[in-house]
Amino acid sequence: MTKLKLSGVSKAYGATLALRRGDLELDSGEVHVLIGANGSGKSTLCKIVAGSVRPDAGEVLLDGRAVTVSGPRAAQALGIGIFYQELSLADHRSVAENICLPDLPRQNGLFIDRTALRAEAERYIALFETVAGAALQADTIVGDLRADQRQLVEIMKALATEAPILIFDEPTSALDRAQVDRFFEILRDLKSKGRSIVFISHRMDEIFAIGDRVTVIRDGETVGTTTISETSPDAVIHMMVGEQETLATPQAAPPIHAPSTDIALKVEGLTGAGFHEVSFAVGRGEILGLGGLHGQGQSAILKALFGAVAPRSGEVKLAGERLRIDSPRSAIAQGLAYVSGDRGRDGVISGRPILENVTPIHALRNRLLLARPGRLAEKALPALKALNTKFAGLSHSIGSLSGGNQQKIVIARWLIDKPDILLLDDPTKGIDLSAKADLFALIRELAAEGLAIVLYSSEDAELLNNADRILVFNGGSVSRELSGAERTRYNLYQAAYEAA
Amino acid sequence: MTTNASLTAHDSGLRRLLGRFPFLPALFILAVLLILNGIFEPNSLSFRSLTGLVRTYMALMLLAVAQTYVVYAADIDLSVGAIASLVNVTIIVLMQHMGGGGLSVLAALGVGVLVGLACGLVNGFVVAALRLQAIVATFATSIFFTGLALVILPVAGMPAPTVFWRTYGGSFFGIPFVFYAAATLAILLYLLARTRLATQLLAVGDGQQAAFQSGLPVTAIRIGGYALCGVFAALAAFCITGDTASGDPLVGAKMTLFSVAAVVLGGSALSGGFGTVAGSVIAALIIGLINSLVFFAGTPSHWQNFVQGLAILAALMVGVLVSRRGRA
Repeated sequence: MTKLKLSGVSKAYGATLALRRGDLELDSGEVHVLIGANGSGKSTLCKIVAGSVRPDAGEVLLDGRAVTVSGPRAAQALGIGIFYQELSLADHRSVAENICLPDLPRQNGLFIDRTALRAEAERYIALFETVAGAALQADTIVGDLRADQRQLVEIMKALATEAPILIFDEPTSALDRAQVDRFFEILRDLKSKGRSIVFISHRMDEIFAIGDRVTVIRDGETVGTTTISETSPDAVIHMMVGEQETLATPQAAPPIHAPSTDIALKVEGLTGAGFHEVSFAVGRGEILGLGGLHGQGQSAILKALFGAVAPRSGEVKLAGERLRIDSPRSAIAQGLAYVSGDRGRDGVISGRPILENVTPIHALRNRLLLARPGRLAEKALPALKALNTKFAGLSHSIGSLSGGNQQKIVIARWLIDKPDILLLDDPTKGIDLSAKADLFALIRELAAEGLAIVLYSSEDAELLNNADRILVFNGGSVSRELSGAERTRYNLYQAAYEAA
Repeated sequence: MTTNASLTAHDSGLRRLLGRFPFLPALFILAVLLILNGIFEPNSLSFRSLTGLVRTYMALMLLAVAQTYVVYAADIDLSVGAIASLVNVTIIVLMQHMGGGGLSVLAALGVGVLVGLACGLVNGFVVAALRLQAIVATFATSIFFTGLALVILPVAGMPAPTVFWRTYGGSFFGIPFVFYAAATLAILLYLLARTRLATQLLAVGDGQQAAFQSGLPVTAIRIGGYALCGVFAALAAFCITGDTASGDPLVGAKMTLFSVAAVVLGGSALSGGFGTVAGSVIAALIIGLINSLVFFAGTPSHWQNFVQGLAILAALMVGVLVSRRGRA
């Protein structure tokens, strides 16, 4: 009884292949789990089914009939409802309006039927009555709700479509235990009524609690589907890891620096928005990797260390001395450097020449009042050269460069006056392979010169190949430390996916 | 619910109040201005003067309402003034050609509404379907609409038929016509606030991507907002025509940015998703009262623009400060 079948579905954004070959078979009356590492294409697959992304190739069969899902409206007409991971709520509208937004009830053809709207919304609010908290009422403005309550509203909105096929893309990430349990009860009830449900979660225990079958996606390709009752968490992780179980390139396995001897940066019990009680130490010459799923606190910690977001409590010591960092300015003065993967927002000074983009940190650290282009160029050129940066001239706009070269400019900024600590926040996002190789070669070189480097990367291969030690983050704290031979894809996934 | 609220009773009370009635700061400023007007010129609070105020600023109120529907969806329309000009000259010329009788006036008004609607649809098509930047695209269409108006009536001054401006300035059963118009407007706005389109416009303004993913026909909704805006700009043109009793192809141009100012002053967010038409109407009256206050306070004529600008800035500041406290 195949309700929905996808075969060979693919989608590329420019040069990036988001989904190479997605296959999925969804039966009536089942909860079908999709699992895969960061960026493996799960969300893209879901959005194709829900019509908000058009596939480049492949076939979608609904009840055995080939269909084109031309948009979210068409998907609703075909009986497909979806919970969006990034939510699709209107913040200034009420809970009731949001739940019924796709199809607001009308009277006399023109006006909204407020009574019907309320009644309809309250049916779905009542489903979560015991766990949602008192503030979640039909009239509450969605923007006033907590994160978990907003997520519940998005769930209600998906349920309110009453579609035979429901897709939930990470619906439980902000929910507490009781809310998840209630949600699962509702899912089981829907299942017993013959509805087909796609469920994405990164928590292994949830997957085994609710799923009937699981389909694993790796690097944009469907690897296989198995029945949950016949498999184990271990086997699923093995499917996710595939053949790449060990380090991809063993040459990268560098000498391990004992952090106890020459500690550059020590973090003790750091707590803030998105992370709690995190402690670690980085030695000089060491590259410490932060791993795990997206948004488990890795970026938040790096931002806090750089003074961009104030932590609530905890201590940071630089070479044994307690550090007071209240702004990026003071962090820079004390020898910290930070490179963000979001260079458009945090790195590039857009529309300005390359020279101006390379020298701001130098100007700040040396309190330069006057900028003499000739002098600055002398400083800038070696730094750019160290990175193999390709550019036509220092006076050209940074916008004329490719993404990879722009990021090199941003990194070169920190190389004129060497910092002690380099914080890298997913620095290779959207950069081509050769630029990546250049970057990591330089990072290794910097470490050899005695810099302490903290590297967060959303690409697991980068971490495994380049970090001396990896801290795996899960739910805002470190769940496991991997060093030496333990640094395998399998261990990384296992630590990342186990229940937080 | 009550236990939570009592903890921060004062702040959350203000917050909730502002959330439901975002035009409260504007209402407060309006009251202050009325009092100030009364102090400088007690006569200004007489029934006659207030009638005059509403008669003169009815057009701006309607333009502010027109602008509000577009701003709901995070768009903007810099052509409302030009649409009003175009409708003004269209109905004047039509009424002149058809002889100026009662029926011809009604027919001309019907055509006027259609012209406004057509202009709105053009704007909507250009902005929502062709996806041009609203601010530039409607600036361009405003030049286009003004050009059309200049073709229809190259020189200002063709008079409106007597029956038309007599009606607009007259009274029925002892109540001035503009108050009937205001009451009709109030009912119309009440009904419009209950339509599906109003909620959908606000949802689009809150986040276009989210609205699209929710299955809303985003392009059609935005075009609907512009169409509504065009119709209200046409209604504003009727009031301008009634007030000035003549045709002028450039009459609306200077009112466009006043309509944007009124929307903001009325508590709506230019970023979309949040606001009320009532606030815009009140804010249009505020701008009117500021103008009359500047006059009654005896400001020398060459200082009037200066003072008027300062007063509008001050009013905007009060409004922003109050709403910010409420939202923090």
